[in-house]
Amino acid sequence: MAADPILPPLITAQLNYLLSHYPLPIKVEQIWSGGKAQQFSDRFTLLIPLCLDYIKWDVIYNAQYPLVAPDVIFGVEDENFHPFFNTGEGGNTKKSCLCDWNCKDPTMLLSLIHELRVQYIVYQRKKVGQLDDERLKFEISTIHPREGIEVYMNSGPDKAEEVKFAVPLLDMDLNKLVLLCPWRHQQKIYLQVIFPVSRKYSPAPTAPRLKLVCSSELKALFSIDDVKLPAWLDGMKATFFASSGIFTFLVHFSLSTQFPKQQPALVLQSSQHFNSQGTPVVSPPLIDYPWSPRWDVLKMAERIFDFLVEECLEFKKYCNDSRHQQY
Amino acid sequence: MNDDQPLEKIAISGPTLASIIQRFSSSEGDVDGLLFGHVTEPSSSNLHDDDHDSTQSNNSPSLVANITNFFCSNSLSSFYDSLGRLNNSILTHLLQDRQQQLIGWFVGRRKSPLRPSMREFSVSSSLFTLTTQPCVFLLLSSPVHDQLIHTHDYKAFQFMQKNGLFESKSIEVVNIGPAFRGHYGSFSPNSEFPWLAPSSGMEEDKGKRDRRVEGFEVGRLSKLMGSTASNYTSELEDLYSDMLGKLGDLARVVEKSSALVLEQGTFKLMKCKETSTRTDTML
Repeated sequence: MAADPILPPLITAQLNYLLSHYPLPIKVEQIWSGGKAQQFSDRFTLLIPLCLDYIKWDVIYNAQYPLVAPDVIFGVEDENFHPFFNTGEGGNTKKSCLCDWNCKDPTMLLSLIHELRVQYIVYQRKKVGQLDDERLKFEISTIHPREGIEVYMNSGPDKAEEVKFAVPLLDMDLNKLVLLCPWRHQQKIYLQVIFPVSRKYSPAPTAPRLKLVCSSELKALFSIDDVKLPAWLDGMKATFFASSGIFTFLVHFSLSTQFPKQQPALVLQSSQHFNSQGTPVVSPPLIDYPWSPRWDVLKMAERIFDFLVEECLEFKKYCNDSRHQQY
Repeated sequence: MNDDQPLEKIAISGPTLASIIQRFSSSEGDVDGLLFGHVTEPSSSNLHDDDHDSTQSNNSPSLVANITNFFCSNSLSSFYDSLGRLNNSILTHLLQDRQQQLIGWFVGRRKSPLRPSMREFSVSSSLFTLTTQPCVFLLLSSPVHDQLIHTHDYKAFQFMQKNGLFESKSIEVVNIGPAFRGHYGSFSPNSEFPWLAPSSGMEEDKGKRDRRVEGFEVGRLSKLMGSTASNYTSELEDLYSDMLGKLGDLARVVEKSSALVLEQGTFKLMKCKETSTRTDTML
């Protein structure tokens, strides 16, 4: 098989600019020609980093008309991704770089790929949000406002359905920490969370898999890939510090794998009262306060708060009583 | 406005499909074009006496889209822009004087995956609002990797507005067979020439153009050499586009005359039939 010819100069300039200036490391899988004469190549497959993985998009130019903007063919499982659908006269189309394509501008392909990638992230979030999995819905509702988190759903006939989250950790610029930084791309450490999708009526949801991930450049310096975080177990705990007037106390939340379907068990611990052994006074586990798995997340938080406002007064009394018993 | 009814299948005559493939495979690059035809509701063979069943089948009649004719632009993005928005003036021009109804469009792009692209989706969505019948999209391609045997791959889709999806539909290639008459009657064998001249040339005064073309002497071509060449280059380019315009006019005349010939042929055939029926009754 003969080697495929080179791209026309205008397209080469755009591709080179994309590969050298995009903040993430994009790769070209193959370049080939769709013309009859095959004087120039005019189509290529891009591997675009997304959610600690790569997505494959075919960029189709036309060597006959190098001035015309390219078209893009997305992956087989993304037949519902239509970046310019339902936007009519306004919306995304007005801002799109395709409205005003200038083939002589080498930055155009980068603008297009960036624009599509941003829309693809929105599409993936929406797709995951539509899944019928209570646990996932909850997780997504808690991360939605945070920037930089990417969500991706693996789907396909021969793949187990799972949703991946990539959460960038640390708000510091790692590149600045290394003297004479040799890296072109911004280095980051990510927490990767993989949720197996569980359908309604399925038995207990499977615990997510957690892992810290970083780029290969960073791996040369730190051994980050080896850190595997423990799987989600029954009785994971979170503790909050609270106060009511001058009474200060801790609230321990114990979460089961069924959370938020099942309410967390609460234990209050005083910061000011100690028993005869010198250990802080704690409440018995509180497990039957008002709760409904059908409440939205905000309502759940509100109801816990309301419960604690009342319960802490009882607890304060309990603490004072136990102290009086001491003397 | 389109009613978004699902098609059972898409039927195309063998010669029409062959002709589209031929246009595509003989082109230098990617091509697109329009498809014409109509929707038929074949008489259902599975009628039931049961009331419940018949109401069900009434709700979803099996529709067949018949592609009977096409127009190939010999290039890409002929009637839409990079975002897939329609260029209405070009489209109006392409559709004028057409006897047949627009039923969709097609794209031929070599060595690419046989699934609709970003732009093809947008164009289909725009075209959907324009057609009065289901919107069909025919995609032609060839394998990405060279193979020993060359194949022409094609796939047909119906664009569904309600869920914003391309639904893959089976294609039935209709060819002449022993019982072809009933099946083939709805197909029209005339096909059009590609559109040669740029759109602006079409509204122009024909007489003026003819004069310009005639006034160019071969001797003037020598002026293309030397310092004054740049002036003459544009003049020559104008001449070229005028000639293309003339060629386009000629193509339209040929199309019309071929349609007339067809009409006459059909008329004669009908007369023959009439005579034979009369002879039958006399006998």
